[in-house]
Amino acid sequence: MAGLELLSDQGYRLDGRKATELRKVQARMGVFAQADGSAYIEQGNTKALAVVYGPHEMRGSRSRTLHDRAVINCQYSMATFSTAERKRRPHGDRKSTEMSLHLKQTFEAAVMTQLYPRSQIDIYVKVLQADGGNYSVCVNAATLAVIDAGIPMRDYVCACTVGFVDETPLADLCFAEESGGGSSLALALLPRGGQIALLQMDARLHQDHLEALMEAAMTACKGVSKVLDEVVRQHLQEVSVLTGE
Amino acid sequence: MIKTEKIFHLKSSRGWKVRVVREHYLREHVPCHSSLCQAGCDNDGKLLSEDVTHYVFPDVGVVVDYQEVLEFRELRGVVFTQTACHAVQHSKGRRQYNRLRALLKDPRHDCVLFANEFQKNAYCSRQKGESQDIWHSRCVHSAAVWYHDHLAGVKPVVMITEDASAVAQYSSLHSGIYIVSMQEYLQNFWPELKAAQDLYCSVSQALQVKESEGTEREYTEHLPSEVLEAGVKSGRYIQGTLNVNKHRAQNEAFVRLEGSSNKNTDLNSDVLVSGGKSRNRAVHGDMVVVELLPRSEWRGRVTALSEGQGEDKLPESTQSQPMPTGRVVGILQRNWRDYVVTFPPKEETQSRNSRRILATPWDQRIPKIRISTQQADALQDHRVVVRIDSWESTSLYPNGHSVRVLGRAGELETEVQTILIENCVHVLPFSEAQLREMPANSPEKPWQADTAGRRDLRESHLVFSIDPRGCEDVDDTLSVRSLPGGERLELGVHIADVTHFVREGSLTDLEARSRATTYYLADRRYDMLPAVLSADLCSLLGGVDRYAMSVLWELDARTLAVHKVWYGRTLIRSSYQLHYELAQALLNGEPAQVPELMQLDPDQRDAKLAQLTEALEMLTHVARHLRAQRDRGGALELEGVEVRAQLDEDKNITALVPRQPLEVHETVAECMIHANHWVARKIQESFPQQSLLRHHPPPRQEFFCELVDCAKARGFTINTRSNKDLAESLDQAVDPKDPLVNRLLRVMATQAMSNALYFSTGSIPQDQYYHYGLALDRYTHFTSPIRRYADVVVHRLLTAAISLDQGSDPSKTLASNKELEVMAKHINKKNQAAQRTQKLSTELFQCLYFKDKDPLTDPCCVADAVVYSIRTNGFLVFIPQYGLKGAVYVKNREGQVVSARPGGACEWQSGSVHRYPDRISTVCSAGTITFSLFQHITVRISVQPSRCHSDSLHLEVLSNTPHHSPEPTDLPGPQPQGRTHLVQEVVRLAEEASQQAQEKAAQGNRLSREERAFRQTKGPNLYSLLEEVRELALMDPQACGDGGGGSGLSGEAGCISSA
Repeated sequence: MAGLELLSDQGYRLDGRKATELRKVQARMGVFAQADGSAYIEQGNTKALAVVYGPHEMRGSRSRTLHDRAVINCQYSMATFSTAERKRRPHGDRKSTEMSLHLKQTFEAAVMTQLYPRSQIDIYVKVLQADGGNYSVCVNAATLAVIDAGIPMRDYVCACTVGFVDETPLADLCFAEESGGGSSLALALLPRGGQIALLQMDARLHQDHLEALMEAAMTACKGVSKVLDEVVRQHLQEVSVLTGE
Repeated sequence: MIKTEKIFHLKSSRGWKVRVVREHYLREHVPCHSSLCQAGCDNDGKLLSEDVTHYVFPDVGVVVDYQEVLEFRELRGVVFTQTACHAVQHSKGRRQYNRLRALLKDPRHDCVLFANEFQKNAYCSRQKGESQDIWHSRCVHSAAVWYHDHLAGVKPVVMITEDASAVAQYSSLHSGIYIVSMQEYLQNFWPELKAAQDLYCSVSQALQVKESEGTEREYTEHLPSEVLEAGVKSGRYIQGTLNVNKHRAQNEAFVRLEGSSNKNTDLNSDVLVSGGKSRNRAVHGDMVVVELLPRSEWRGRVTALSEGQGEDKLPESTQSQPMPTGRVVGILQRNWRDYVVTFPPKEETQSRNSRRILATPWDQRIPKIRISTQQADALQDHRVVVRIDSWESTSLYPNGHSVRVLGRAGELETEVQTILIENCVHVLPFSEAQLREMPANSPEKPWQADTAGRRDLRESHLVFSIDPRGCEDVDDTLSVRSLPGGERLELGVHIADVTHFVREGSLTDLEARSRATTYYLADRRYDMLPAVLSADLCSLLGGVDRYAMSVLWELDARTLAVHKVWYGRTLIRSSYQLHYELAQALLNGEPAQVPELMQLDPDQRDAKLAQLTEALEMLTHVARHLRAQRDRGGALELEGVEVRAQLDEDKNITALVPRQPLEVHETVAECMIHANHWVARKIQESFPQQSLLRHHPPPRQEFFCELVDCAKARGFTINTRSNKDLAESLDQAVDPKDPLVNRLLRVMATQAMSNALYFSTGSIPQDQYYHYGLALDRYTHFTSPIRRYADVVVHRLLTAAISLDQGSDPSKTLASNKELEVMAKHINKKNQAAQRTQKLSTELFQCLYFKDKDPLTDPCCVADAVVYSIRTNGFLVFIPQYGLKGAVYVKNREGQVVSARPGGACEWQSGSVHRYPDRISTVCSAGTITFSLFQHITVRISVQPSRCHSDSLHLEVLSNTPHHSPEPTDLPGPQPQGRTHLVQEVVRLAEEASQQAQEKAAQGNRLSREERAFRQTKGPNLYSLLEEVRELALMDPQACGDGGGGSGLSGEAGCISSA
């Protein structure tokens, strides 16, 4: 059998989306009471849970303390049942460590850390079901959790992966598309200012196409930010009703 | 954002059962691609026409098994569901799927794809426990229902299925939808389409047979594709294309390695695959993966000439050095095409009860194909087009099915069609829709030229064309004048502006692209463009206004250096439509009658004549200069000699001109080369990544070995270091006593070279743009857009380049490098096919010519021949009288050798053969006889008939002295009898025969109608031959060589055969 046809002649992708369409995003904030902030997000079949503690004083080695801003501590992990075959090691492997580092860099760029010197913010993200775009879903989940925790940010950080098939950029890849070969790019964006918090690409891509790919990624990120914004507003409304305003 | 919904699929992948969950988004608006749509679907691209009686939804099973039947262009209004397309992709592989995709894209087929699985209402999810087939049928049915409702029930919808239970289940569910089986459908809706019904029957029979296969294993199984890919990557296996040796199709095949992917440095030649078992079901042309055998099992290739078929066991001594030998372990890509086969006569069909028949393909390299048919009796001795379906490891032969019947073997029409099909040349008459696109030009409604956007050269320039006599499609004209001031000359080449009439993407354009070139056969021609363009509106005839694409050079009057070049669209009126002989006569100052000036009074006529003659002289002067310039660069004169020989013959036959080639030929050719070169420069500079050029790669030095050795035998040294050295040393290698020596040497040099090819500039580095034969750094084809599609592409590029210069962006986006490269490959392939068909049809006519002659008595069958290559048991000769090449044996199958009798005559006796580098001699009781290179001998030509393949000519030595014509007084007459003469003769005979048959059978004028349909112009195609001299970059070495393999290192290096 031939390889999967990621983009048909009619312009449909495997799951029936067009090239620029995102997967369905559903999110909820404040899912846990004990943590300072928490959020749950579903982007297609990728599901992630994010929890935020802090800002609080430094735990563990105090030598890491920064006197002018807060330290952000991220941990990324995947549930053992998140993939089609059971995962042996939920966190601490090479990939997870790298992902933790990326998350940390992303949020150091977005959170206004200078407001909390000598303190620490912990962000824990767990992928419950993996179906492509794990990094971007985690960033989106963590954003909601940080907002839930009431930590000031410059803007929402929205992330999206974009692939490149048949000279066409595909937004928000699912697992089949991600593993189908071809290059993919992950972008975390502060949408209002258009600043890039993180840009990551491992595969080879011709320089001529990069521009188009970035453009598509930014559009996709802006789409995500709209959805997240709606979720936040909805959540605030619910909370204000509960508190009896 | 569109409302979406999520549905889960269950899937199990290889190994363990894995649960794969995929999203599936459904939407309200899925384009229906019908021109009847009322709902305002977002339809773009191809639309189903509204003038059909119904729309058809083929079921999944129908699409998978009977795709070929659905490919008939007559079947219209076909809607393929996405479900069916996916099923094809999964069960039939990429090749079949790509065919389906091409079908859907082709605007000539009235069919569309409906993405039913993404439509909210048309989609149905698979239910628990539902079998896949039932689910598929349900999907197609619900798609049909949706489609019917979507079009508000305007068109009835027919669903065709092979599943009887589906017919029963769904037929009463919905009123507008009819459910029928494939067979009923064809019978009821297309009763006049007999071909489709026959094809359906043969496919369904082949399918039934497949189910009842035996289990005994004849071949080892192929390895799975992952293993093959990994093996190729690691270097354990080798990937390449299988080439079967035409003369030993049973047991010798070679795998030509793929590019540079091969890391094994000691493997620089092809890999031999010896025997049917190790070939393992691979067919000629397949992309295979081979495993090398250990060195101890390596074998050599056979170098002897093999006589007759089926002689498999050869003594070890005739084998050359052992070469890498391997066996096929897997096939990456089948390259099956349509094959022409011949059904055996009744007595050979083994068992009466079996309906399966082994048919022998026309192409010797293809194994016999097992066909199951009930028409075996009717088809005896007919040539039939078949397709191979499969080749299981349990079967000795591949299974196939018949597609259509061509006719009785041996008939002229059948044989010509066979040649076309074997070379994948499909030329149907132009369709009505295509002809409707053409502008009208009739006496009542004459076509009007429009000057807008064109430079008007009608008054300012003296434009004339020089072509062969009687030429219809004039695609180039010339002009030359001195500019005011006398310092500068202006040379102009004006080419027919075909792209003005053939818009990119129009039906005519698509048809022209798929044909890629005009096909010239020995007795007929298949045009690339409809006649209204090629012979009228695009043809730059004398005295009428025509659109042209012009290149004008301003040259320095003294040094002839180019100062300025202008490219652009023009309007011209050709003043004189000259032919070569007339132009030459004018140049020589001989009295000549110019038809255009006949009506004028003498004074005016003389003035005009002087003006024309002056222009011709100026032109000749410029062309000489250009030629000298290229000669300094190292241009080769190879093909000229080869084709010019045919030309001479031509001209003599039609008794038009003296034998010597005229200088004016070269003058015109030189101007065209100049124009092509400058256009190549222009488009390459404007579009460095995406222009279509033509290059001729330098040949590999080792291919010249034979040429150098041959020349040495005659005492000449050939220097092959560069094209310049080669040209010079070839010029010196002239034997004053025998002009043929030089000619043969040039032919051999041509054979050593590769073909000139089209390419896209973005795909290869700039230093490979060089044209070796013409000694130009950039070259393309610009001057014959009427009969070559490459020129049409170049015209479009040039137009875009001009508009780019004028500051505006090219109106449309140009073809990207990738698309252009695909197109270049396609055109190259079609050109090769065109050359092969031309060669094969010439051979066919040669055989027909000799068939009626008795070789023992007819003086035509005895001819003079020159030896030009020595082999172990014979030699190759060239017969100048007929332009033939062939093999002559000095040892026959009984082991007897040719021996001399007093007086130079030869006979067969037992003895032995000795081969030396420059001669071969036989020794027997009667004495020794020697044949050395370039020796003239006498041979007898006879036809070796063959039932399944094409007939071939057989040569036999009569004596080792030159042949003297029995009537020396007639020498200038019969000597230059050539191919075209044969063609005429045979055409005449065939026509007589057909007339006789007509009278006898009283079948009306069916035959002649067929002839009228196929033969677009009558008479020999003098034009094509002349054209070839003018611009063909180099002869196809395959056309000259006797082997199918081409390059010297591969299969056919050391062997020829009469088989």
